[in-house]
Amino acid sequence: MEFKHKQLDNGLTIIGEYNGGAKSAAVGFFVKTGGRDETSEINGVSHFLEHMMFKGTDKLSAFEVNEAFDRTGAQFNAFTSEEATVYYAAILPEYLRDITELWSQLMRPSLRTDDFNIEKNVIKEEIAMYQDMPNFDVMDRCRALHFEGHPCGNSVLGTVQSIDALTAEQMREYFGRRYSAGNMILTVVGNFDWDMVCTVAKENCGRWEKKIVNRETADYEGTSKKEHFEKANLVREHICLFSHSVSVQDSRRFAAGLLGVILGDDVGSRFFWELVDKAIAETAVFQHAPMDGTGVNLSYIRCSKDNASTVMKKINAIFEDVRKNGVTEAELSTAKNKVLSSLVIKNEVPMGRLVDMGFNWMYLKEYRSVQDDINSIRNVSCDDIIEIIKDYDLGRYTQFNLGPVKK
Amino acid sequence: MAQWFDKHTLQNGMVVLGEPMEGVNSVAFDFMIPAGAAVMPEGTCGAANIIEDWIFRGAGEMNSRQLSDAMDSLGLHRSSSIGSHHFTVGAALESSNVEKALELHADIILRPLLDNDQFNLAKQLAADDLHGLDDDPRQKVMVRLKEEFYPKPLGISTHGHAEDLKSLTTDQCRKLIGNHFNLSDTIFAIAGKYDFDRVVNLVEKLFGGEDAKPKIDTAIQSSGDYYTHLHHEGAQVHIGVMTPTVTAADENYYNIRTAVSVLSGGMSARLFTEVREKRGLCYAVGARYHSMKEAAGISCYAGTTPDKAQQTLDVIMTEFNRLKDGISEEEMQRAKTGLKSALILQSESSSSRAAGIGSDYYMFGRIRSLDEIKEKIEQTTAESVVNYLRQNSFKDFWVVTIGPKQITIG
Repeated sequence: MEFKHKQLDNGLTIIGEYNGGAKSAAVGFFVKTGGRDETSEINGVSHFLEHMMFKGTDKLSAFEVNEAFDRTGAQFNAFTSEEATVYYAAILPEYLRDITELWSQLMRPSLRTDDFNIEKNVIKEEIAMYQDMPNFDVMDRCRALHFEGHPCGNSVLGTVQSIDALTAEQMREYFGRRYSAGNMILTVVGNFDWDMVCTVAKENCGRWEKKIVNRETADYEGTSKKEHFEKANLVREHICLFSHSVSVQDSRRFAAGLLGVILGDDVGSRFFWELVDKAIAETAVFQHAPMDGTGVNLSYIRCSKDNASTVMKKINAIFEDVRKNGVTEAELSTAKNKVLSSLVIKNEVPMGRLVDMGFNWMYLKEYRSVQDDINSIRNVSCDDIIEIIKDYDLGRYTQFNLGPVKK
Repeated sequence: MAQWFDKHTLQNGMVVLGEPMEGVNSVAFDFMIPAGAAVMPEGTCGAANIIEDWIFRGAGEMNSRQLSDAMDSLGLHRSSSIGSHHFTVGAALESSNVEKALELHADIILRPLLDNDQFNLAKQLAADDLHGLDDDPRQKVMVRLKEEFYPKPLGISTHGHAEDLKSLTTDQCRKLIGNHFNLSDTIFAIAGKYDFDRVVNLVEKLFGGEDAKPKIDTAIQSSGDYYTHLHHEGAQVHIGVMTPTVTAADENYYNIRTAVSVLSGGMSARLFTEVREKRGLCYAVGARYHSMKEAAGISCYAGTTPDKAQQTLDVIMTEFNRLKDGISEEEMQRAKTGLKSALILQSESSSSRAAGIGSDYYMFGRIRSLDEIKEKIEQTTAESVVNYLRQNSFKDFWVVTIGPKQITIG
């Protein structure tokens, strides 16, 4: 593995991790912009823009873009979160030049009004789709409740109303502000020719404007409000909890991650033994999600309406027990084995490695090899975890229940 | 490096397959046990789901907790799934622990404790999972579609049926495990970093002592209704469509795979272009090929708000039927490249290779090399696909919708 790095004059960063033994390469643009960088007037614009980026440039129509990707057999897509918009492709090495070039050109799109109007329907369909997925719906509602008044509470998808009201002009303005060279990272992983990647980037991205881009990154404790909503078509109770935790910049994130695995991994965790093994809930997970300048623990539980109060009693008891007694050496060691093994398996495929590489640079401006992460995880002690539990009260959570109508 | 496959058959008939991979430190393995949903006797739909949970609740000398801790301490990622023919249990992990992992799996498969108390919990969870499917119409529509489409019981729900689940007893499930955990009809597949001689010796020692049992045949009946609508006051109508085609062993298999790729391989494929890009009818729309040994079909999913549901189905049907009218050279080339590229990208993951060689062996009695598949894809032409489709046009479609509004089937 060899790390590569270059920055163009306009601030665009290019990073790579070379692995000559890989059969494939992965390439992507990481843009540091997402739901939290929006105001309520333009809520949903980051995600809508992500769709519009595929609609082509002054030289390429939307169909030609799709054709160009498909000609190479690339497995490509994009996603938008509260904090980032990522465009990625897994590709055979012989097509890497074509795809790097294509992504580079697409990052300066036409944003045509006709395409915007058709795509609006697709976005509204996506919103409707997630409404029929209560596990997503409850998480969105709980996030908004937890981050009330903080931009991290913004819905990534927006609402039908905000999307209806959004204009192409507003999107162009947002694009101009956020897709600045210095706010973007071109990342490549696997089997690639570094000089080629840099040349393609320079040719296609070298003239992009340099602008200062800001983000509000104040830490936020959360509201710890409790709410519920009943929906006639639901059968199960869907419970989501958010609580405050360490940010992605905090070196204690590894301890917080291991605490998450101990408490709420899908098998073999405290949530598992207390809730799933005993058939009180069919799903019960808890995990740490570090964010830019702040962080959360989030839990999702699905159970019968009748069991909902038992579930919360059990969870409160788990939080109380870990606050009083910490975690055991055995629990920590098991959690480490699980995390290390998934880390290794995930990073064996270039596409898996790409995401970690890009995000490390976006948040930390730092290259971390897989081995660096392995070492950080190995070094976590029970005391580190106790410190986290002391500083971040697990019992102080925001809760949203989405479930069937009471009989 | 040329691709290499390992194969060995144990005394009792259990087949051991392997694909060594360079440059990986992980290993993945699967036991494909003939205890899938479709091979279980009538009236026991859901038994596989109970069993899937029950066998992990203690095995050998270990209680449930000890077994779970033993697996977790190896950093082992458990996987288990219920298919039509097989109940597959397996793992992915760092290669140095593979022998310990196999020993644990021998306990789980051959010596599960099967406690009565634990049975009730396993049964409750299986029932709860099935209820949970009601809150996931997108998945439920495809589960129901396979039930209606495939000749019964091939497509029977791998989530269980509520009435059957309710009536299942410990004795029944113990007996099903006794009859269906048949090692002589089990395929073991391993991929990644491993030493095949050591694996074979260990597997022989752990599993070779089990006697062969008679194979269980499934009597195949007819398919279900052409149109099923389930009312659900959701935001979208979830549409599932399926039409019969050749199985993976057929000589026209690659023609059909390419045809499906033209229809729905990438973002320039016809369904995405016509349904989403041109008309904005859906966010999610896509078709895929699905094959069992006995029967196969092309299925399609689309989710859309009620007012657009009819138009969405009509456009989908038009695209299925239009395939035989011709395919351009560029479309054909993209479809073929897409299939080949997906094949190679998947080959980098040990888990997907283990699953791949296991299912190949079950379907064809041998493992196809990536080169062979690539060559077969390469040999298809727009002419071969269109000629096949003209002689075998899509006639019967099974449709299932879940949502606030029914649609009209042409």
